[in-house]
Amino acid sequence: MSNGPTITDSAPWSELTGHPRYAACLVAAREGDRRALDAIVVDLSPLVWYVARAQGLDHTVAEDVVQTVWLTLLRNLHAVAEPKALAGWLITTTRREAARHRGGADRVQPLADDAAEQLVSAEGLPEDEVLRSDRDRSLWRAFNRLPDRCKELLLLTVVAGRAEYDRVAQELNMRRGSIGPTRGRCIATLRGFLTSEGGTS
Amino acid sequence: MSPTESPSGNSPAGGHPVDLGLPEQDARLLAELAALLELADPVPDGMTDRIRFAMDLDNLEFEVARWQRDGELVGAAGVRGSVAPDTITFTVGDLTVMVSLAPATNGNRFDGWLVPGGPHTVEVRVEGHDPATATADEGGRFVLEEVPKGITQIVVHLAGQRARSVVTPTIVL
Repeated sequence: MSNGPTITDSAPWSELTGHPRYAACLVAAREGDRRALDAIVVDLSPLVWYVARAQGLDHTVAEDVVQTVWLTLLRNLHAVAEPKALAGWLITTTRREAARHRGGADRVQPLADDAAEQLVSAEGLPEDEVLRSDRDRSLWRAFNRLPDRCKELLLLTVVAGRAEYDRVAQELNMRRGSIGPTRGRCIATLRGFLTSEGGTS
Repeated sequence: MSPTESPSGNSPAGGHPVDLGLPEQDARLLAELAALLELADPVPDGMTDRIRFAMDLDNLEFEVARWQRDGELVGAAGVRGSVAPDTITFTVGDLTVMVSLAPATNGNRFDGWLVPGGPHTVEVRVEGHDPATATADEGGRFVLEEVPKGITQIVVHLAGQRARSVVTPTIVL
């Protein structure tokens, strides 16, 4: 079975990053390898957390959603059709579960809507106090003035960037062609707010 | 100073965490935002451990229940781990489980009620302890005299012709 010397602690995915790593972990997890499952949880929980937060959920409900998503994965290990699309599956499942908690049943709004930057933000994210520098505070305030869906698009860009955003974006029901322009407008709006908050953009 | 200290991502190219072909100044602003996010809205302490505990299940044939956190329940149970709730409720499909908690010598007494009732087995898992189990009576009532406090998950094994299990996300009691 082995095709060479194996270091006791090395796992087939340990040298991999990004989607090939998640895919290798998922395949091993299906065979009952708990370490593989652990590795996915460690790698991708921040992604799931920020996707839930980007849906406007408070900390308590966001963590409920995060755990529900992981439990849902656990019982569907064999049902995730394409292991390489795991990050995308997690994002989709998280947004769906978050929508359910917000009382919107299964209605998930598409992200890249032309009107995205015109909707008004319902609630800003807290923890203003931990930001020590003026620059951090200005940027955070500017970010929180953005409409919710702008915030979500930028948050996803930022957190999923580390999970290879390009592939992940395909998993969302975004109109691909409108993501770039919408994001551009959101960033421009952010910059405008940042200037008015006294920061340089 | 370096305002764009990039979070240590597993960026496969080893490059910028936000490499989407954006104009450089946009990419820089988003990288700054990424660093800020981890500062202003960090992933909760211990969340990964709680997820692992929740997933440490032998039988993978289960349905996931949802905690009900609306109405006054949010007031009671809203702040995870800081204010202990006195009633917790979860639902899945047509099943609702309510548990009222009362202080016991070493933890909490659970007085629970399952709807619809039946001789279902309720297993309470608390991290670092052996699971406590009770069987509900025909009316769906069950009692656990003493459940240790901590990271808690409830698993219900539903009696009936078709065996079903229901698990909750963890809650800190």
